[in-house]
This record gives sequence, C-alpha cells and structure tokens, in this order.
Amino acid sequence: MISENIPWSEKYRPKNFAEIKGQDAAVSKVKLFLHAFPKKKSIIFHGTPGVGKTTLAYATALEKDAEILELNASDFRDKKKISEIIGPAISQKSLFKSNKIILVDEVDGISARRDRGGLSELVGLIEKSAYPIIITANDIWDKKFSILRKKAEIVALKDIDYRTVVSVLQDIAKKEAMIISVDVLTSIAVRTKGDLRAALNDLQMYSKLESIDAFGDMGERNREQTIFQALQYVFKNSKIDQSMIKVYDEVNMSVDQIFLWIEENIPLEYKGEELAKAYDALSMADVFRGRIYRKQHWRFMIYQYFLLGSGIAAAKNGVKGGFTSYKKPSRILKIWLNNQRTAKKKSICQKYSKLCHISLKQAMRDFMLIKIILNNSKIREELKLNDDEITYLDK
Amino acid sequence: MSMSEHYNSEVWTEKYRPKKFNEVVGQEEILKRVKALVNSFNIPHLLFAGPAGTGKSTLALIVVKELFGVSWRDNYLELNASDERGIDVVRQKVKDFARTRALGDVPFKVIFLDEADALTREAQQALRRTMENYTSTCRFILSCNYSSKILDPIQSRTVVFRFQLLEKKDIKRRIDLISEMEGLTISADAFDALYEASEGDCRRAINLLQATASISPNVTPDLINTIVSKARPRDVRVVLDYALSGDFISSKEKLLDIMLKDSISGSDIIKAIQKEIWNLNIDNTLKVKLTEKTGEIEFRLVEGSDEFIQLESLIAGFVLAGEGKILDDGEVRSIGGAKVSGGY
Repeated sequence: MISENIPWSEKYRPKNFAEIKGQDAAVSKVKLFLHAFPKKKSIIFHGTPGVGKTTLAYATALEKDAEILELNASDFRDKKKISEIIGPAISQKSLFKSNKIILVDEVDGISARRDRGGLSELVGLIEKSAYPIIITANDIWDKKFSILRKKAEIVALKDIDYRTVVSVLQDIAKKEAMIISVDVLTSIAVRTKGDLRAALNDLQMYSKLESIDAFGDMGERNREQTIFQALQYVFKNSKIDQSMIKVYDEVNMSVDQIFLWIEENIPLEYKGEELAKAYDALSMADVFRGRIYRKQHWRFMIYQYFLLGSGIAAAKNGVKGGFTSYKKPSRILKIWLNNQRTAKKKSICQKYSKLCHISLKQAMRDFMLIKIILNNSKIREELKLNDDEITYLDK
Repeated sequence: MSMSEHYNSEVWTEKYRPKKFNEVVGQEEILKRVKALVNSFNIPHLLFAGPAGTGKSTLALIVVKELFGVSWRDNYLELNASDERGIDVVRQKVKDFARTRALGDVPFKVIFLDEADALTREAQQALRRTMENYTSTCRFILSCNYSSKILDPIQSRTVVFRFQLLEKKDIKRRIDLISEMEGLTISADAFDALYEASEGDCRRAINLLQATASISPNVTPDLINTIVSKARPRDVRVVLDYALSGDFISSKEKLLDIMLKDSISGSDIIKAIQKEIWNLNIDNTLKVKLTEKTGEIEFRLVEGSDEFIQLESLIAGFVLAGEGKILDDGEVRSIGGAKVSGGY
C-alpha cells in the first residue's frame, strides 16, 4: 500500500548513469570530471526544473560508491551554520563508505544580499574540500554566481526532447500495467515541455482517473470553469458596471494566461467594428502590462484589469445571447511545436554559421538561400550534417 | 589555384574569401592603413564599421593570418555578440582564451567580436573594462554596422575604420573570378540582376551565384530571379489580403505561421506591413488612416509585452478597412489610449 503513494518520479528515478535518458552529453562530462578529480573540486549541474539535475547527482555518487551529504539553499543562511555542517564533513571519514560527495541543491535560492557570506563560504569550502562538491542550479549565469562559476566545472542539462519523454512514459506505463494510447502520452510530453518530473506526475495522476474525459484537463478543470464564467460575463453582458474590474478576481490563473484566453476567444464573439474595438482594448491592456513589467509600476494593474474587463465588454454593440463554447488558448502550443520542428533548422544553421563566420541569427534569416546551397553532398559532408538534418533539408 | 594553401571549403563564400591583402576588392584606403599596422607587428584595438558583406570579417581574418602565419588558429578567438548569452559569457570566454600567452613572436592574441552593436549599453561598459584588463595580452577587433551604436569610450580606445558599400565594379571582379574558376557563363544582364538582388552585399551576391549555379552553369537573369523569389521570406501581403476580405481568423493564422516559420520578429513584420499599405487596392484616405494606425501599433509594440496581441489588433483594424470603414481617431482613442504617446 505504501509503495502506491510514492511519487513515480521517485519510484522510477534512474539509479545509475546507464538508466539516465536524454542527457548523454552531460553524463559524459561528469565522467570526465570524476576522472580528472581533484583538478576541479566542484561541478555545477544547471538546467530547467525536472530535467534530472538531482538524479544525476545521486547517480554520480553511486558511480563513485560514495555517500551523499546533501545541503539545501536554506542551510546557507549564514556562514556559521554552513561551516558547522560541512566543516567537519570535508575532513571526517564516512561511517559506512569510504567516499563522500557533497550535494548543494538548488543554489539559486541563496540570495547575494540576504544570505551574505553564504556564497563566499561555499567558494571557500570548495577550495578546502577533499571530496567532490556537486552544485545544482536553474540559472547559473546569474551575476551573483560569477565567482562560483570560476571554481567549478559547468554542465548544462538540456530540456528533455519530447520523444524521449514519450518513450520513458511508455516504459513506465508498461511496468504499471496501464493501458494508454501514444496520443495521450504525447500530449502529456508536449504539455510538460521537457520537464520529465512533471510528465511522470501527470501520468501517475492519470492512472488514478477512471476515464480519459476526466483526464482532459486535470486540475485545470476548475480553473477553466472560472475563466468560462468570467469570459461569459464580459462578452455577453450588456451593462458595464464597476464590478467588472473584479471579474477576473475569482479566476485562478495568471494574468498572462487570462490575456491568452481573451485573445483566443474575441473572434468567437465579436465581428467587424466590435472585433477591432475589443482588440484595441486588449492591445492597450498589453501596453500597461509591459509598463508594469519593465518599470514595476504596479499601480497600472488597475488600468490593465479595467481594459480586460470593461474595455472588452464595451466593445459590443448590444446584448449577446446564446451560449458560446470558449476555446483553450492555442498559440503557446503552436509556438512550442514549431520550435520542435525547427530544432533541426537551428542545428544546421549553427554548423553553417561557424564555418562561414556569421551569426546564427543571420544564418536563420538567410536560411531559404542557404538551403539551396546545401543541396550539395560535398558541403553536407563538410558541415558534418547528420541524418536527421539531411532528412530535414530534403523534405 | 592560388588559394589552395591548405583545406578548401566547398561553400563559395569561404572558398573564395580573400586570404591576402592583395586579393581584397575595394576598401583601398582601409587596406593601406591596416597593412601598415600589421607590418609593424603591433596593432591597437580596431573597430570595423560598415554594412554587411563589405569585408569586415575577411579583413579581420587576414590580419590574424598575416600576424601569426600558420599558428593563427591558436591565437585567434571569434565571437558573435548577437549569439552569445549575455556579456558574462563573453567575458568568461575572453578570460579563458586570454589566460595562456600568445605563441610565437607576436606578444598578444586577437579577439574578433562580430556584431558588437548588438550589445546593450551595460554590456558595452563591461566590455570596455574587459578590453582594459587584458590589453597587455589581447587585442580586440570589433565589428558593427553602425558605429553610432558603439559607446564613445570604446570608440575612443579603438582605431575606427569605416567600410563603404562595395562598388558594382568591385563585386563584378569577384563574381567574374568565381565564374571563371567554377566554369560558369554569366551574361551582362545576369550580372545586373545578381547585383540588384545583392544590394551591394558581396556575401549575398556570392551565395546567390552558388545557389543559381547549383541549377545550371549557364547563369541567366531568369534563373537568378527564380532563386531570389524562392529565397524571399513569405509575404505579409497575404495576411493583409485575408484581413481586407474580412477573414480575420485566416489572417491571424497566416501571420503566426510567417512569424514562426521564417523566424521574423513582430517589429520586422510591422515594418513590412507599413511598406505594403500603399500597394493595397483601397481608397487613399483609408491608406492614410491605416498607416496612422500602424504607427500607433508600432509604438505600442515597443511599450507592450506581447508582440502578437499588438499585431492582431492591427489586422483587426484592416478588417474594418476592408468593410470600407475604420475607427476614426476619436473612437480609437476613447478606449483609453488617449495618452499613449505621452508615456515617454
């Protein structure tokens, strides 16, 4: 019984290097680091959430047959605490195993100002430590890490390709004796955008649901009802009143998401002049959003929400009757799918731009012309294009 | 072949990239001065400013080859500012590169930073400090399209060379040489068409020639025009035509399609739309109104956060124009935009 409640992301966490999927480049970099140790004492794994940073750390420990001593960002509140914890550990022998690896997880959480001393303490420890120190981070290019970066080997973990995610999900579904179509697995993989942990969570939740219908939106269902109601109020109501400014208060979504929902559904309700007026209001709301982001001018939220509510509502010429089945926003998914499709174009342009001393951006802009030139087997060989890239060019 | 010193690329922009000063066409004044600097085996930091395809990267490569001879690759780092993820990455790479001493007789290494005008003001400040920190071991060659986008303190620490657009006769010399080496025939008309399409960009001219030659060694104006139209990014015209015919949904789908497939930004799209308005088959007073609306949206695009929403709002305006009407100023502004332009 207990085992059923373990998150699958834990249950199926890869144990060793061989089991880790979709991060071959990172794994081989780690092997090189271990081989060269102590040339560099520390190694940083960075990447977006759910791509396997912590997993890779534990697999590294297994590879070295080492015990892991884990620290969280919250442990770095001050210098004293950190030396108390790590200080003895870097000199003592482990009780059970001869090796030790120190894992500092989610180093992003350390604030350069508030946890003054924490980062420099960490840097000091790296110098003293007799054991490898693994650091994980989402964004290692932040300014505050500039000193840390110099002390460590940096390994980037890529977002996991959706096809890899699908194959992992398939494996696990099989082990759990689930019956599930590849389409559903693909939609999970696409939606979770390379975050394998999120994909596994979705799959596990799905396994507990009775029917596919209920799955459609898991958790999102509630949220959808509230946005449906808000949209209906704004699009159908003939009278505009003060309460319209609060129409999105009940909607459990980010404002960016609300923008997308309105954008998607304006053409379902409005035509001609109404359509133009409604998009004009949305466009102005977006201008205020831009100012809020850039200048942190929170007061402008009033105008942003006013335009999203009353602004959109006032675009109509009279009462709107009937029931409209509002659509989910589709643009973000389209952008994501396009990026997947153009990944090959990008990798081709990368190779070409290196050879020809131009920027990747320039190569992307000139791609239609470059494509014709690349219709030449000698050049393809020269650029070391792989089979996937050649298929993309020939298609 | 004169340029077969070692390995030769099959991409003509590389295969025929000049490798010595005397192979370069045009830019005579610049050549003279740069040559004098290189002959002294000591160069200051350099700034090459000028349009695309006029020989900036080529000259930088020649400088390092003349300075370092066969070991030029060990002493040369090429970075592109528009591709690097922030100035920190640039600094890290510069640092790693500058750590070891230059090999050979020349006491410094050379870093070529292409498209330096893509860096923000803050990044340029940081670059300035980096240039100073490594000045004993490294020389920088910066390239940019407009020197006005490079901070004064950087300009004052470099020797600035302004590259001119190549003249037609210079491009012709290059194209004739390549045609002869590759066994192509190219008529005078065909060269005119090629030059026209290249807009004075030598790299583009050579790329067009190679693309055309991949179809036939007999290069004609027709063939060149075929390639040019094939290589042109998808047209925004179709987006406007859908909108004017009242089909908003198709118009916005086409718009997204163009932006995604051709990697075009919202601000490039709106420039193309603005140019296209006068070619539309609508009343002139409407064109004025639409241009005004386009200007307003271009402004909002800079101020706002979602380019696509702004463009949708613009094409919704075109839908109205298609019905023969468009919101007059009063109405557009009444929706809260009264002081839009007053935001700055």
